Parts: sequence; structure tokens; C-alpha cells
Amino acid sequence: MTSDPKDNPTNSITQQPSSSSSSSSQPPAKPAAQPPAKPEPEAPPFERGLVSQIISQFGNDKIKVPYIRPLRIKISVNPEDIVEVATFIRDNLGFDHAEAVSGTDYPKDDQIEVIYQLGSYSRDDIAGHVFSLATRTNRDDALLPTLINVYKSAEYHERETYEMLGVYFEGHPRNERFLLPEDWADLPPLRKEFKIRGR
Amino acid sequence: MDVAKNLEHEIDDNDPTKKLALQIVKESEDDRLMRLSVGPQHPGSGHFRFTVTVDGDYIVHCDPDPGYVHRGEEKMCEYRTFIQNIPHLERPVIHDSSNIIYSYSLAVEQLVGIEVPRRGQFLRALASELDRQIYTLYWLGIYGIFLGHSTMFMWPVGDRELFIDLMDALTGARVTHAFNIPGGVRNDMPYGFKDKCLRNIAYFEKRLKEYEDIFYNNPLFRQRTEGVGILTKEDAIKLGVTGSVLRASGVPYDIRKAEPYDVYNEMDFKVQYMKSGDSFARSYVPLLDMKESCHIMRQLLDKMPESGEVRAKLQPTPKGPPGEAYRRVESGRGALGYYIVSDGSPKAYRVKMSVGSFRNMIALPHLLVGSKLADMPSVYWSLNYWPVEADR
Amino acid sequence: MATAPQGFRFGNFVGSLIWLILWIIIIASLIALPLIFVILFYVPLPPVNGEVLTPYLFLSMVVDPTRTLPIVHFIIHTDLFRIAVFPGFTFAALMAAVTIFVERKFLAKMQLRIGPLYCGKVEGVLQLLADGLKLVSKEIIIPSGADKPIFWAAPIAYVATAAAVVALIPAAPGWVGANVNVGLIAVFAILGFFPLIALLFSWASNSKYPFIGGLRALHQMIAFEIPFFLSALSVVLLAGSLNLTDIANAQHPYWFIFFLPISAFVFFISSLAELERIPFDLPEAESEIVAGWLTETSGMIYGLIQLGSYIKVYALSALFVVLFLGGWAGPQIFPKELMPAANATTAPPLLQLLTLQGVFNGGTASAIFWFTLKTFGIILLMLFIRGINPRIRIDILLHTGWYKLIVLTFINMFIALALIYSGILGPGGVLTVH
Repeated sequence: MTSDPKDNPTNSITQQPSSSSSSSSQPPAKPAAQPPAKPEPEAPPFERGLVSQIISQFGNDKIKVPYIRPLRIKISVNPEDIVEVATFIRDNLGFDHAEAVSGTDYPKDDQIEVIYQLGSYSRDDIAGHVFSLATRTNRDDALLPTLINVYKSAEYHERETYEMLGVYFEGHPRNERFLLPEDWADLPPLRKEFKIRGR
Repeated sequence: MDVAKNLEHEIDDNDPTKKLALQIVKESEDDRLMRLSVGPQHPGSGHFRFTVTVDGDYIVHCDPDPGYVHRGEEKMCEYRTFIQNIPHLERPVIHDSSNIIYSYSLAVEQLVGIEVPRRGQFLRALASELDRQIYTLYWLGIYGIFLGHSTMFMWPVGDRELFIDLMDALTGARVTHAFNIPGGVRNDMPYGFKDKCLRNIAYFEKRLKEYEDIFYNNPLFRQRTEGVGILTKEDAIKLGVTGSVLRASGVPYDIRKAEPYDVYNEMDFKVQYMKSGDSFARSYVPLLDMKESCHIMRQLLDKMPESGEVRAKLQPTPKGPPGEAYRRVESGRGALGYYIVSDGSPKAYRVKMSVGSFRNMIALPHLLVGSKLADMPSVYWSLNYWPVEADR
Repeated sequence: MATAPQGFRFGNFVGSLIWLILWIIIIASLIALPLIFVILFYVPLPPVNGEVLTPYLFLSMVVDPTRTLPIVHFIIHTDLFRIAVFPGFTFAALMAAVTIFVERKFLAKMQLRIGPLYCGKVEGVLQLLADGLKLVSKEIIIPSGADKPIFWAAPIAYVATAAAVVALIPAAPGWVGANVNVGLIAVFAILGFFPLIALLFSWASNSKYPFIGGLRALHQMIAFEIPFFLSALSVVLLAGSLNLTDIANAQHPYWFIFFLPISAFVFFISSLAELERIPFDLPEAESEIVAGWLTETSGMIYGLIQLGSYIKVYALSALFVVLFLGGWAGPQIFPKELMPAANATTAPPLLQLLTLQGVFNGGTASAIFWFTLKTFGIILLMLFIRGINPRIRIDILLHTGWYKLIVLTFINMFIALALIYSGILGPGGVLTVH
């Protein structure tokens, strides 16, 4: 089903920590074949504290941390763990709503990455934080569990991701066309093989 | 309600279909229910369609159906360079275009690594506040039309001309200004702009008092909006609504305070919010926001540095190292976020816009089911929904 | 029509005009005139001043001024004139037209704009004519499933009913289309026909939004009919008669609005609801149900319904004036005769003609003036309310109509009864002067 993100470090576009036990304070320093990636500065302590709570709950093998920046944290999990991790984040860390759900097509990895941007309205100390919860799935058979039982606000976003990228969310009541016209019979538009005509 | 269950879809968990084919919806025959399409050909809906099923005068089911103005903004961004993206990205909200490009500029600057000069930051914030007034006044006017009050349309739209004239002098265009670019703003203020701006703001603040007297203290307006479509604080947080809808339900959240960008951490203003969560609160919070905005604009004009560069020097096709960035801005509708992934080339790899209207749409079925058909315009437009922006 | 048509030649234009005049002369002399004489051969002609009014006598008044005035006097006092011109249909339509124009201008000034400006040299006065011409020239689209006989008949019935109400309302002493002794009840009986027309038309439109709009119109109009005539009942108690002319005459020296302010208020609100004006224009609530029961109207059908609607505005405002504001009471500002010296039989006939001897009556003229002024004041009040209010919701409307307004009318009825019992007002009371 889904391949582990850490198996393809050099081909991925975004920065991924290379070694297995990724501690959050290690600045990743792997050279890419592309223009050199900027080295990440030292991660701020408050965000590190948030991430360490998650890692202490679930363990390092389930949680990968691509980056920790001031006010922005991104962790990457496998699809089978995502509901648990999301529930933990909502109940213990205080991120109570999903701002956006976006899917990105990485044909080089043969994967689609779906990111849930989570925010908090009820707590003042993390009011400005956006917690990105990412997961990856295969391009050919894109299947993910839905998070609408954890974050109700993700309902329409997941539906849009379904129609734009072809990722099926199990448990979502309506995996249907939303923004596209009723007679859309082409590829999901946000996939990279869908070319806009004339360009 | 039980009757609504008949209209839900049958989910077959064993055989998930993964095709984007047309779904046939099974509807049960029931003489009491009537299915109305508040569709795009309707003076009360904008470029948006939602179907409601009514039982007498009560709505039992509501299903939004956006997509009439879907232009594929996100896909188009992958074909153009960062600067070329600006003209088409500001089309979702033509008159609030400064805010929608502001967020984009912030994300691009973070990716590429640009420092914005101080005077440019002030000008950007000024344009953002002016556009916020322009959008909110237009929204208020349309709200008046929805309630059948034509004077409530004419006065805000007339007063909006004050700000449109200012933006015209500042940027050269009445709407779709294309003023913000990654790195600052395109040009400096013209001569005499500050005085004109202060005069218009002073006149407008007097007008806001008149709006309160004539529109908001009108007993019929209050009867139609108070107690209608109550969105509790827990529901608002759970549904993830944003902007004035959130602040009207008692959550004092504003991106300019929670995550200040540019010069907003130097400005002194309060987050305006109300606790009742009904349509009246959702229509009153934008008025309070406008008053606060005038206050911010005066401070911006006061504290702006006398001279200086307004934009950073850029290559024609800026590009940065591979990475991703997510930046948000408080626009007229709420938090407007951009998630940009860059692969090192001058074109973006993926641009995702998280717009306030799309996030507020989820509150529409939640509020409409169980309310009366006559309350439909008052609830629908109070959710600060801009159809073109939600479709992108 | 901003450019002249191509190939325009002035000579051809004059030629076409002459051709037109030729055809008019031919048709008039060969067909119309003989037809008229044939008809007049069989219709008995009335005598005027001792002579039978034949067409020759009618045409001779062009050359003999002494014959003009008696003929004009005769014509003015016929029933046909009263019904068709004044105070009947033409007067009502004229007031309706002026109302529409003033509404647009007045509302525009309230909303800080200008209103119609381009049609007509002065502030767009010909705008209404332009709109009327536009409506006449539009295509009338009838939905395919609509019930065609009712679809065509309902707008005509609407205008006819509105005109029937106008026929009952007196504009000056002795000037009323139909002087019925139960005039007030007749007005309400005719007004009760409007909900039926609205419902029939909305049903005949065969569409969802008109259906909802028709039901709302039905609910609204029926809910407000009861406070409507209960508030008029107080007036009847004080005046002692149902005849509208007598009610207007009974308001010497004080108008009924001073004794019955609550009833006047209830009457005014109910008439706003009957007229479907903002804030009570739910049957036509644009943002919710497109255009309510008027959704499927187009072209002249829409024009007829608008005409009927504004004639109703005039009729109900005039009714308010007759019932509460003393009708035509007011100081006489026109002199009794335009020139007393011209009254003598030795005066030259042209002077007699110019000063309208026998036709001009100072009392009637000032009565008409005051009546028109007061009616127009009430209409302006209705327009003003339109400018400052949003639309009301149906359940608040029905609650107001069935509960609050009826209670208010009963309060005022008890006040009226108390006034009569104590001998202050009413027939034979202290304050009545006949």
C-alpha cells in the first residue's frame, strides 16, 4: 500500500530526515540533486515540546518529523495510524479544528501526500500555530481513512481532495464530485498527468 | 429529522467506487416535502447553488452545490511563475484582491527568502485595510438586499466609493488592484494621498454611526436577525468556521492578533467579537470590524516611515530552494491561507488556497436544517460566503 | 435610437406623413363617420338646454361659444365621465403614474442617488412613458404547463377589481362613480376578491416559487382584512352611515383621526399589507422566492399588474382620507366664480366662455384640491415607510395581523362607543354640525 516516506530520501522534493531515529532538534543536512536546500535553523523549544509529546505517545517509528519551525510543525504518519494520532492531537495538544486538507501529487515517488492543516481556537498559547499532519498513499490505489469523525471541519475539504486528486476517503459519506461540473469525465485535475490544454 | 434520512446516500463499504462518475441520488417520494433549488438563477444566491427540501415552511435538508465559478486557480498556478500568478489569483475576490495576494506574497517571500522594506510593509497593510472596508461594505449592501431593504444596499455601496477612489489613486485600478507582489508593493503612494485618506476615513466614521441608527436599530431588522441561526461556540470551533462568523459566536480569534504579520504587532487594536452567535451578531461584527479598521488605518498612516523603498529588488522570475510554506492573512471573510510547495524551479509545484468562504460553507446545512424558509437569506448571507472565492 | 436610420430623406418622410393623413381621411369619412351616424340613428340622444344633442350640435360648438359650455357641463355630469375620467379610471391611473414616478425620485433622494434622469429634459419625467412603451413591446412568455385562460384573465381581473374600488370613492361632494348607500361594505367586499386573484394566478403559473408566493399572499391578505374593516367600523359608529359621502360630510368640524388615532394607525398598517408594499411585500420577496406569485409575468401582463397595484395604492389612500382625514374638507381657496362680472347675461360670450360660467364651481374645485393633496400626503407616507424598512417575516406578519392589530381596533371601538354614549359625537351629539 503506502511506502514509507523515509525509504526515498533523495528523490522526494520536500526535506525529510534521513536516518531512522529522527529527533526533532536535528537539522537535516542531506544534499539533494536539485538546487541546494536551505539548512533548517534550530527548532524552537515550545514546538519541540509539542512534538515530543506525540513521539512519547506513539514512538519514533510511527511519527516522522519533516520540519519544526516557529509556529509551524509538520509530522508525517502512515495512513493506518492517522486517526489515532489525530485524536491524540485534538484531545491532548488542543488543536481543535482542521483549517485545510490539501493533496499534492508526487509522481516521482509514485505517491500522493495529503496534509491536514490543524489550528486551535480555544487555546491562547497555540493560537498562531498551524500543525500540519501529513500522510502518504499510493497513486494507483489512493485510499485513506477519513478524519471527519475527529475533525468535522474537514468534510468538504476531503470531498474536494477526492474529486481533484482521486483519493478515496474511507468512511466519508459522500465521495463525490463537488466543484467540478456534473459531466466531468476526465482525470482528476490536480494530478500531474492532467495537462491544461494549450500549455 | 427522520424524513431527512431518506435523502442520504447509500454507502456500500465493501465496494468503494473510485470513479468520478455521476452519482444517482435516490430520493423518496413524500407529498409533504418540496425540493427547491436556490440556484444560480436566483436573485438571492449569488454564483452558488444549494438545494433545500422544505416541509411547509421548515427546511429539513440542505445540500450546498458550489462549483459554478470554478476556474482551476490552483492548477493554473503550477503553470506560471510566482509573479505571473498574481493577476489570476486575485480574481476570486476582485475587490478584496490585496488580501488574497498578501497571503500569497508572504508565502512566496518565505520560500524564496525576500526581505520586505519597512515602507512597503506599511503600504501593504494599508491596502489590506482599505480592501477590507471595500469588501465588507459590499457584503453589507447585499445583506440589505437579501432582507428586502434597498436603502441598506444603496448607502454602503455609495460609501464604498470613498475607498474605491482611494485604491484607484493608490494602485491605478478600482478592483483587482494587483498592488501586492512578493517583495512589497508595486508603487509608492501618490502625493496628497495621506490627507485624502484621512478625510475619507473621518467622513466614513460618521456614516458608520448613521448605519447603526438606521439599519441595526430598526425593529424589523432585529426581528429578522435576532435569535435566527444560532451557532454556538462549541459548534463554531468544531466546524472550523473563520472570520466574522467565528467572532460572532464568542471566539475572539483574529490572525492579525494571533499570528501578527508585517507591522501588525506594532498596531494597537482590539479584536471585536460578540457572544450571541445569531444572525444579528454575524451582521454586527463586520460593522465593529470596520470601525476598528479605521482606527488601524489612522495608525498606519501615522507611523509610516517618511520615505524608503517600497519593494525589494527581485529577479523577474524569482525562485528559491525546495521547501514548503504556509502563511495566513486575515481577509474580509476570515483566515486566508496559502500552502505553497516549491521544487526549486521558478514555478510553484503546488499551491493550495484555504479560503474563508469554503470553510464557512459547512455551517450552512448545519444552520439551515430546522429553520424556516423565510430565514434562509438572513442565515445564508450572514455566513460571509463569497461564492467566487469558495470555488477558486 | 441614437443614430438616424440610413437612407433617410426628408422628402420621403414628408411623403409618408401625407400618405398617413390620406389614409386617415379615407377611413374616417368612408367608414367611421357613417358608422357613427348609423349608431346614433338608433341610440336615443339626450337633450341639452332644450335641444337634442346631435353630432351636428356637438360640432357646432366649435364655432358658437355660447353653446360650448352647456354641452361641456352636460358631459361632465354624465355617469360615463364620472366613471371613466374623474374621479374614475383616468384620474386614478394618472395618480398611479405620478405615484410611480414620485416613488422612484423620492426613494432615490433618500438613498443618496438621483433616480430617473435622462428621459425627458427635466429630471426624467418621461421615464414612466418609456417604461410603459417598453413593457408594451415585450414578448409575453407563458410557461408551457400554465393554465392559459386563468393566466390571461387574472391580470385583467386585477386591474378591473382595483378600478371597481376606485369607482366607489368620492373625490368631491357629488362626485363619485357609484353612490351606493352601503359604500364602505361594498369596498371591502371588492377588496376581498384580491386574494382569490393572487391565488388563482399563482396556481395557474404551475411553478414552485409562484406557488409559495401565492400562498403567502393569501395568508397575508386574509390576515389583514379583519383589522382593516374593524378599524373602519369605528368610523361607521361615529358617522352613523355606511355611505362614503356621508362619512366625509360627517367630519365637521373635527376630522375623525383626532378621535380615532389608533384605528387610523391600524387602518394604515392594514392597507400597507393589502397593497403588498414594503415592509409587507412577502408575496413578492425577491431574495427568497424570486418574485413570488409574479414570477411568470412578463411584458404587458406585468404592466397590468403593476398598474392595478398602484391604482390600489391610490384607492386605499383615498379611502383613508375619506374615512379619517375629512375627505375634501378644507378652506375654500378657489373663488366661487372666476370673475363675478362675467356672470351677467350682458357679458360678452367669449368672456363667459373663458371664465367657464356654469361649469366652474369654486367649492368643487377646492374640494378636489384638498382631496388630492391629502391623498398624495398619505401616499408619500407609504413611500417613506418603504425607504427605511426591510421586509418582515411571514410568521411575525401573521402574528401581528391576527393578534395585535385586532386588539388595537377593539380598544378604539370602545373609545368610539364611549364618545357616542356620552353624547359628544354621533348623530345628534354636541360636536356634530350638519
